[in-house]
Amino acid sequence: MAIEPPTNAEPVNAEPSAADLVEAGTFLAEREVYGLVWINRDLVVRAKFGPKADFVALDQPIADSVTPFIGAEPYILTFQDDPTLSLELPGVVIHTSAEHQGRYNLSLFWSARHQHYMLLIARASIDASLEIELLRNVRARLMAEKQTQAKSEQLARANRDLESFASIISHDLKAPMRALCHVADETLATLSAGNLDAACSQLEWMRAQSRRMSAMLSGLLQYSTIGRKVEAIETVDTLALVQAIRDSVSWQGQKVVTVHGVWPVIETLKSQLEVVLRNLVDNAIKHHDRDHAIISLTCDERPDHLKITVADDGPGIVPAHREAIFLPFRTLAAPGTTAPQDGIGLGLALVKRTLESVGGGIRLRSDPEQARGTTFEITWPRTIQS
Amino acid sequence: MSRSPARKVMLLGEIGVGKSSLAQRLMFNRFSGEYKPTIGVEVYRYEVPQAALSEPMTLILWDTDGNFGDAIFSHVYLKEAAAAVIVGDAMRPETLDSAVRLAQGFAEVLPGRPVYFILNKWDLVTDANEPVLPTAYKTRPVMKASAALGENVNEAFIEVAKAIHRRGH
Repeated sequence: MAIEPPTNAEPVNAEPSAADLVEAGTFLAEREVYGLVWINRDLVVRAKFGPKADFVALDQPIADSVTPFIGAEPYILTFQDDPTLSLELPGVVIHTSAEHQGRYNLSLFWSARHQHYMLLIARASIDASLEIELLRNVRARLMAEKQTQAKSEQLARANRDLESFASIISHDLKAPMRALCHVADETLATLSAGNLDAACSQLEWMRAQSRRMSAMLSGLLQYSTIGRKVEAIETVDTLALVQAIRDSVSWQGQKVVTVHGVWPVIETLKSQLEVVLRNLVDNAIKHHDRDHAIISLTCDERPDHLKITVADDGPGIVPAHREAIFLPFRTLAAPGTTAPQDGIGLGLALVKRTLESVGGGIRLRSDPEQARGTTFEITWPRTIQS
Repeated sequence: MSRSPARKVMLLGEIGVGKSSLAQRLMFNRFSGEYKPTIGVEVYRYEVPQAALSEPMTLILWDTDGNFGDAIFSHVYLKEAAAAVIVGDAMRPETLDSAVRLAQGFAEVLPGRPVYFILNKWDLVTDANEPVLPTAYKTRPVMKASAALGENVNEAFIEVAKAIHRRGH
């Protein structure tokens, strides 16, 4: 039954009676301005007013039908000790099935006078369909713009990577491939001439080149995946790690690896740190020009990083080669020769890229004209950057 | 009360990462390709399957407006939250970074609560476009899911329920 507003209302400064207040409240509730729910001190619904409260179940715990209150019961119960507290949740959509019940502003208070909670349920103004559609449209457009921008940046990065890889592959893999084709032709000619020994020799060469190319491709794959795989951060005893590296090269008789400084236990990416240190040590041994070699590893703890140096007493690296050595597939001539060294030339490229992926860095100190030896100084962050 | 214990789980993440799609997939096993941003907050009630836990549990999912950003941490919506699921879009790297910030913010406001990352839209990921995950992803559980295909969605929320259960409150 609809209740009409009082037509004989007194001037505003007149004191309304309790009956007037009840009548006004009922009027507003029935016109769906709000719904009102009374809840007892055990949080059970005892009464409700107005269609907006229809979804609230009588004689049931309030949280059963007003799900945003689930879990908040301990907080709500404290209102009884401190009536100044309230729980106000604006603009909440309650889903109980595939269809939601609409968007509400929920306000819950404790009435010390009535020893009941009062829940006011008001339709959230944001639910006005035009307003919400406008908001959604603006949001969708912003999203589309952001996505387009992100895609463009992603594409640009991918193109740069692609160009880099295309360059590497064309320059460094195509040459041995051409040589293989050429030698295959030669081998056919050699076989036609009946020279089996020479043909065998050519086939051996082809097999060696094929293996080298296979190693290059494997290395390229490893290089390209640095920083893309999720590795676990773990507790790493850096001293144990570096000692293991030292022990693994100890079979090379006269090459001595020494360990100095303080090597702490840290939370870090173990395999990446090992890749860096092992490649630097291997590189120092491989490029040494004498039977006796000393490679020293030193760690210096800094507040936010470890400063690790790998120093050797080898021939050194001339300034002209300092950038090239960090490029993939670049092998320098063996000391005193013009022939490239064994290996595929990925060691230092892996080191540099690994360090970049964890937010570290590498510096090279070497001046063969002044003194023998090369020192690589790396910074390894204590906290791995994202 | 005879109801199973209910735990509040915040669903956080940047706009458009698929929070509502995950909630809709979990609740109603449906997916709509139409993008409808969440305005404010939407609340779902999810009964954790009996087989998943040793005792009944209800998750109250608070699917939040991605536009809140860090402001969510000072909002009453966060009150009494037992865990957070931070959603990132596997195809939009910038959302993975903001997910890290949200995880840190949640952990500061409600320390000790489980925080899970969900990498949504994982069905679109290939070897060629696999995202480089921020390092913070190595320190928290990460679930790769697809709301579109329904892959790993239920599993992710069951894991969250288990983590809440292990924590005890």
